[in-house]
Amino acid sequence: MIKITQMENGITTVRPGVERLVASNAKTFKDELIELVGSGSALIVLDFDGVSFVDSSGLGALVGVLKRIGNRGELVVSGLNADVAQLFRICRMDRVFKSYSSADAAVQAMGDRL
Amino acid sequence: MTHALFHMPNDIEHVSDMVGEIMAYLADRLPDLQVFKAEVALVEALSNVVEHAETTRPAEPIEIAVRTDDDVFAIDIFDPVGAQPFDLREHASDLGTVDIWAERGRGIGLILLCTDEVAYGPLDGRNRLSLKFKLETAE
Repeated sequence: MIKITQMENGITTVRPGVERLVASNAKTFKDELIELVGSGSALIVLDFDGVSFVDSSGLGALVGVLKRIGNRGELVVSGLNADVAQLFRICRMDRVFKSYSSADAAVQAMGDRL
Repeated sequence: MTHALFHMPNDIEHVSDMVGEIMAYLADRLPDLQVFKAEVALVEALSNVVEHAETTRPAEPIEIAVRTDDDVFAIDIFDPVGAQPFDLREHASDLGTVDIWAERGRGIGLILLCTDEVAYGPLDGRNRLSLKFKLETAE
C-alpha cells in the first residue's frame, strides 16, 4: 500500500499509495507506517500528492503514527489538496502536523532543522 | 423534486465506490460549496452505519435515497433490515472538544458540522438517518 519514494539524509518520503485514505484502508496504512517507524525511520514526509480524500479514520491513523514516533522524530505532510487541507483545518490537524506544498519543500525544511 | 435510490452491501470495502456513485449523481445538481460537505458527511455516515448498526442479517444492503429540491437536498440512509437502532446524535461530540491526539471520535462531529439538519427515526418499518443540506450559492 504505502510507497517509499525517497530516502535522503535520514528523511523518508512516503506516499499513501491510495487515492482515498478512508476507513477501509486506514488500518493497513497505519500498520505499514508503524512498521516503517519500527525499522528505524523516524523522520517521515507523508506526501499526499494524488490523494483526493481523507476521512476521520485516515486522520486517526495519522495521529496514531505520530504518537508512535513520539519525540524520536517527526512526521510532516505535503501536497494536501484543497479539500484535504480543509478537513485538516476543521479537525485542527493543522495544529498537529506541519504541512508543506510539496515533498521537496518538506524534505528541505526538515533537513534544515537537523 | 428529483429522487434517486442506491444500494450498498453492508461492508466497509464498498463505501468509497458507493460515495463515488452518489457524488457523481449529485455533482451536476449541487453548487461546488456543497459538494465537499456532502461527501464528508456521506462517507462518515455510511462508515458509521457499517461499523455500528448491529444486525443479525449482514447480507441485507444499506439503502440510500437522495432527494433534491429547489433549496434543499437530503440524503436518507436506511439501516439494513434487522439492524438495531443507532442514533448517532446520542453519540455526538463537538469537534472542538475532541482530544486533538485522539485516534477516533471525529466522524459524528464531522457529520453534524457538514449538515444543516440530522434526523433519525423509524420510517415504514426501517430506521432512517436523514442528512439535510440547504443549497447555498456563492455570492
